[in-house]
Amino acid sequence: MKKASTAAVNASAGLTADKVSLAVDLAGLHLANPMMTASGTCGYADEYADFADLSKLGAFVTKSITLKPRKGNEAYRIVETRGGMLNAIGLANVGLDVFLADKLPVLARMKAAGPRIIVNVAGHSFDDYLQAASRISREAIVDAIELNVSCPNVSDGLTFGTNPDLLKQLVRRVRDALRPDCRLIVKLSPNVTDITQTAGAAVEGGANILSMVNTFTGMAVDIWKRKTRLANGTGGLSGPAIRPLAVAMVSKVYRAVAKPAGVPIIGMGGIQYWQDAVEFLLAGASGLAVGTALFVDPATPITILAGLRDYLATLGCRSLSEVVGSLSLPGDGPACDQ
Amino acid sequence: MVERNHPLCRAHYLLRLRLPADFPATAPGQFIQLACRRPDGAQTSEVVLAHDLEWEPGKAIAFQQPELLGPLALLRRPFSLAGRGDDERGPWVEIVHRVVGVGTQWLSRLKVGDSVDLIGPLGNRFQLPKDRSLGLLVGGGVGLPPMFYLAQALQAAGWQAVAFVGAQARDLLPVNLDSSVPPATDGQPALSVQEFARYGLVTVITTDDGSLGLKGLITEGLTRFLKTLSPAQRQQAVVFTCGPNGMMRATASLAAAHGVDCQVCMEQAMACGMGTCQSCVVRVEDAANPQDRTADGRPWRYRLTCTDGPVFDARQIVWE
Ligand SMILES: Cc1cc2nc3c(=O)[nH]c(=O)nc-3n(C[C@H](O)[C@H](O)[C@H](O)COP(=O)(O)OP(=O)(O)OC[C@H]3O[C@@H](n4cnc5c(N)ncnc54)[C@H](O)[C@@H]3O)c2cc1C
Ligand SMILES: Cc1cc2nc3c(=O)[nH]c(=O)nc-3n(C[C@H](O)[C@H](O)[C@H](O)COP(=O)(O)O)c2cc1C
Ligand code: FES
Repeated sequence: MKKASTAAVNASAGLTADKVSLAVDLAGLHLANPMMTASGTCGYADEYADFADLSKLGAFVTKSITLKPRKGNEAYRIVETRGGMLNAIGLANVGLDVFLADKLPVLARMKAAGPRIIVNVAGHSFDDYLQAASRISREAIVDAIELNVSCPNVSDGLTFGTNPDLLKQLVRRVRDALRPDCRLIVKLSPNVTDITQTAGAAVEGGANILSMVNTFTGMAVDIWKRKTRLANGTGGLSGPAIRPLAVAMVSKVYRAVAKPAGVPIIGMGGIQYWQDAVEFLLAGASGLAVGTALFVDPATPITILAGLRDYLATLGCRSLSEVVGSLSLPGDGPACDQ
Repeated sequence: MVERNHPLCRAHYLLRLRLPADFPATAPGQFIQLACRRPDGAQTSEVVLAHDLEWEPGKAIAFQQPELLGPLALLRRPFSLAGRGDDERGPWVEIVHRVVGVGTQWLSRLKVGDSVDLIGPLGNRFQLPKDRSLGLLVGGGVGLPPMFYLAQALQAAGWQAVAFVGAQARDLLPVNLDSSVPPATDGQPALSVQEFARYGLVTVITTDDGSLGLKGLITEGLTRFLKTLSPAQRQQAVVFTCGPNGMMRATASLAAAHGVDCQVCMEQAMACGMGTCQSCVVRVEDAANPQDRTADGRPWRYRLTCTDGPVFDARQIVWE
């Protein structure tokens, strides 16, 4: 420990933060920096424009879009829990048609200012996903589609994102339906026993990039009413509380699946400060998304950039790729956490 | 920066914040999102410097786990503006809040000179139609603060107005009383509440337990007053209300029964306050959305309290 920090300080003498490049190449998706918004926490486009300089983002990720508009769940839809929040929004969104007509032009303007555009797509059947994803990918301004697979398939009730076979099929069919140069990101659900299985299935299906993680299923209880606090019963847990869980999953998937296959990871789950972002980078993520922390401060991803530059300079690294996955893990044999 | 912070009653505090000169214009009905923890808690270095860490002397240290510094309230908390002023030292806003949890407790302990981090103004505003001139302000408990600000604006707009103030009991009423004008127990309006009297408004106070003013619900005071109005006066009137849902709903139906327009200031659990998270929905009547209907056939759709509201036309709210 001591040696490492001394070395870091010495190395910093030669390198200043302005010499550090934060540019990343995610499977051909070139970003000026790794910072992105997480789907569902930043609206469709420019809702935060008054509160943050969105042009400085590496990429902007939209709310999940579905083929048909969805009104979403009843209120209460959110509740804060220790270090995080539960949400059960229910994928409320304007639907594909309104998205294309009203929101896409705003995204086009945003893209002209810098960030890449990633549209998140959700569905409840193969057909939902295929129609929405292929239609959106025809728009040249869309650099990548991110699949939100944390939804049940209406025909058999299985959740796409927790069933490797279903997931592989979905990814393959969507990949085939996309504009060839439109990247396909598969957003993994953490609500599985072994996330390397679904990660592997997504990669076999043809995912260009993995993003992880979506929210963890959770529940909060009003003990006097003896009812759940969310009208929906359960919700998805996000925010700082989930960061250690998410970092462990990124580390595992990086080693077991992503690195061998050469597939980049976009890491997320509780990123609020640059230190959090660095944890994900070291664990193996090369892109980084901020969700819940945007509610606290919409400029969070941009504030983090300065911290990342300083950190790399302190280590004497000129580019981000030098630290991605550089975490050393104790022992490589099988271990029991307890 | 905190300029004032003191209790108004057993549960409510008044917080006045001095703002930077470029803070935008505000209007009654709008709210702010306050971070209920120290600003940039993650970046402060004083805590760490007290420890013996190996680093270059004098160099600020960045913590490894900033969240453990103890920002207990993660999300911002929304509060209605209770007043706004601009003087030689710049703009200020006031909020009045009830201590109900970790965030509001943190606020109650702020000291004069402390810094806080806020986003705002957010949301829409009460509408003051040009062809009206009589405001009936109905505020229950924690719904009172926006009414203080509205009183200020109504006076500036040359309206006449009466405030109806309700609380469970005398010691839960977040107002300063004028001891020389005791509130009537029969619902007669009087200049007894300083927050309203300073803008020329008379007030009717009701308490559930009768410990102050008229005993009963706030709608009791409003009913008595509406009966004294001529049809022509009712034409001129607008009811503005904020408070618990049950109270707003009863107020809205009372206003409707007397043919008086009513604007409600809604509350819903919020995360962003800026229209991105879709958490703060209320059901609002909408003929353009025939597929979602109430049991009695009214078409509705979800609207966002934070950006479509918090103020809505009471007739359009689908009460749950
Ligand atoms: C637009 C708007 C304006 C508001 N204006 C005021 C105001 O002027 N003065 C004031 O005192 N309060 C106001 N509130 C409510 C205030 O935001 C909550 O009381 C506050 O968030 C509680 O935070 P806490 O950390 O102290 O309590 P928490 O521990 O978060 O919650 C304590 C209790 O308060 C309830 N609660 C939490 N959030 C809300 C909420 N948003 N609305 C209603 N109940 C909630 C919880 O269900 C819980 O029972 C307003 C809310 C909204 C949406
Ligand atoms: C209110 C809210 C809404 C969300 N909506 C979506 C969504 O529509 N699609 C999606 O793929 N993920 C959604 N997410 C998950 C986030 O994109 C992200 O994966 C998760 O919140 C973890 O990151 P965080 O801890 O930084 O928030 C949502 C999260 C929140 C808090
Ligand atoms: S609070 Fe997020 S949309 Fe209203």
